[in-house]
Amino acid sequence: MEQRTDKNSYTIIFAIAMVLVVGVILAGLFGFTKPMITQNEEIEKQQNILYAMGINANEGTSANFVSTKEAPALFTENIKEQIVLEVKDGKILSQMTRQEYMDANNGQEPYLIDIKKQKTNAKNGMSRKLPLFVGEKDGKTFYIAPIRGKGLWDAIWGYVALDKDMVVQGAYFDHKGETPGLGANIKQRYFMDDFIGEHLVSESGVFKGITVAKGNADPKNEDKTDNEVDAIAGATITGDGVTAMIKKDLKLYLPYFETLKN
Amino acid sequence: MEHLELFFKSIFIDNMVFATFLGMCSYLAVSKKVSTAVGLGAAVIFVLAITVPLNWLLDQYILQPGALSWLGDEYAAYDLSFLSFIMFIATIATMVQLVEIIVEKFSPSLYNSLGIFLPLIAVNCAILGGSLFMQSREIETLALALNYGVGSGIGWFLAILAIAAIREKIRYSNVPPALRGLGITFIITGLMAIGFMSFGGMLTGGEEEAKPEVKTAVIEVKKEDVKKEKATLKADLEIAENINK
Amino acid sequence: MGKDSRLILDPLADNNPITIQVLGICSALAITAELEASIVMSISVLFVLGIGNVVISLMRNIIPSKIRIIVQLIVVATLVIIVDLVLKAYAYELSKTLSVFVGLIITNCIIMGRFEAFALANSPYRSFLDGIGNALGYGVILIIVGFFRELLGSGTLLGFPVLGDPIEKTGLYAFGYENNGFMLLSPMALIVVGIIIWIQRNRNKALIED
Repeated sequence: MEQRTDKNSYTIIFAIAMVLVVGVILAGLFGFTKPMITQNEEIEKQQNILYAMGINANEGTSANFVSTKEAPALFTENIKEQIVLEVKDGKILSQMTRQEYMDANNGQEPYLIDIKKQKTNAKNGMSRKLPLFVGEKDGKTFYIAPIRGKGLWDAIWGYVALDKDMVVQGAYFDHKGETPGLGANIKQRYFMDDFIGEHLVSESGVFKGITVAKGNADPKNEDKTDNEVDAIAGATITGDGVTAMIKKDLKLYLPYFETLKN
Repeated sequence: MEHLELFFKSIFIDNMVFATFLGMCSYLAVSKKVSTAVGLGAAVIFVLAITVPLNWLLDQYILQPGALSWLGDEYAAYDLSFLSFIMFIATIATMVQLVEIIVEKFSPSLYNSLGIFLPLIAVNCAILGGSLFMQSREIETLALALNYGVGSGIGWFLAILAIAAIREKIRYSNVPPALRGLGITFIITGLMAIGFMSFGGMLTGGEEEAKPEVKTAVIEVKKEDVKKEKATLKADLEIAENINK
Repeated sequence: MGKDSRLILDPLADNNPITIQVLGICSALAITAELEASIVMSISVLFVLGIGNVVISLMRNIIPSKIRIIVQLIVVATLVIIVDLVLKAYAYELSKTLSVFVGLIITNCIIMGRFEAFALANSPYRSFLDGIGNALGYGVILIIVGFFRELLGSGTLLGFPVLGDPIEKTGLYAFGYENNGFMLLSPMALIVVGIIIWIQRNRNKALIED
């Protein structure tokens, strides 16, 4: 037995056979599950956007989405418009409505724009497409922007709902692989709710962002204009990641919000 | 500058052992003597320096969504990212095996000192961790990937060198019997990790957009200073006038 | 039969994968800040190690020894990816909770260690028992560490506040007790494991290293 499995030819044949078997199994399973996974991911994005504008099924201290069955209907009902801004070097080059964007992109909905890809485009000196979702609830208008950044282990991302003065009305954060119990707590309600009411720009109109700060002597976050929320103990790098993604990504929308004022 | 920053970051701030706790198993098991620790550490640097850039190429040209577009537009829609774990692991294991064969053939003396560690490395999670971090942190160029691999390797090397040196010395200390060996190593590593956490403050202070804000702040302060000076001058003048009166 | 039951019982104490065999440390440190995460991780490892050991044991006579490490790694990775894909398609919510652990399981050396040390040389049934036993031994340590870190670090267990509310100053906090935020940092996991080793070896002097 030993001698047979030690031969070089056997090793090579075994390796090839195994690569084929594993490849076929995985590719087959991937192809089979892909439509369902894509659909799940689309619904999740809708749930995230709805959560940020305050349409959710929160109970007690836990953050809950609206159910997957209700999400698509609620999404079309509450999100009135999906604007796509094309920006480069802090200037808006063009602005598209949902219909214009879908006509130009084979019917792809703007909320499915791959933020990561757009970031790479911007890095390579190309223009960047920024989606902005306009939601209406109880007579109030929300502008919901996606953000994306890096935590300790992997990507972190989220959606922030703003009013026209860039005051945060709601936030949703998620992560791919932050440490459970520490960085992973950015998707806990106590952390996300802390952002509500925070101002992104100072009174003089300078963009400040929101800093996830340690020991800011305001654990209940009563001062909403200090541009700071209380950090999660033990999750410094994830917190810095949240700070950075809010600062960098929301700043891009500043020119648009300035046009809203006029 | 970008290179230097990434290099120091991967050695100290994101130290494989102390910040992310990867490669702990071999770190704890093979750190009894400095000489063996140096051997394993060197092997880790070597393998990371090869596998991280290699996996970067794999990621860029095969695995990423849309990475296959160099084959032609019809391939651009493929997304093979679900294969990244397997591909990375396969690259690492193959490279380790290849390196072993090549080193054995061309430099028997190096093989004698490194050889026994090479099989250990394939199962060292710091190696796979290096490639996965390279992917998730979106390192941009091949040169940066090489830099990251070498930096992380050196960080791991420093960590195992330090603990091995401590373990050699601690043999002369009066450690409680039940703590001897593994127990005290755990605790020392914990203390070292707390020490390394202080590196976390390095390089995180300055952000790209911070500079202009600082400038305006300075100017504002100056304006205030000027106002204050004016005010004190006025007060002085008034006092002087009062005295004159 | 007695021999088989030892396969399960030994790793729980005298041959514990974490405190004696030094396997699977990375994940034990990374995820034990919360009790819930420790439990989820233990169960996931139980599944992967149990099934993986059986698969490797079934293949033990056909795996070429030269590339056995690659084969083992690919078997684990394939198993984990299959489970991940199926969960993503049919139980998306659950997969969101577990996705964090996927990478940790593949890189967990406890799995490779048991493949190499046991499953490659033993029958599927015994390998299965060995896998279960080691996963349980691993889980016990994880849960102990998670329990203390969550209790002392954030004053909660499984997310429920058991010591009162630190902001409203109720329960224990009324007497001036404070959470030790330090316990949440990963280095403290190392120290807690160190203390567990200390206690364990004090009770069983045979385990003491010279």
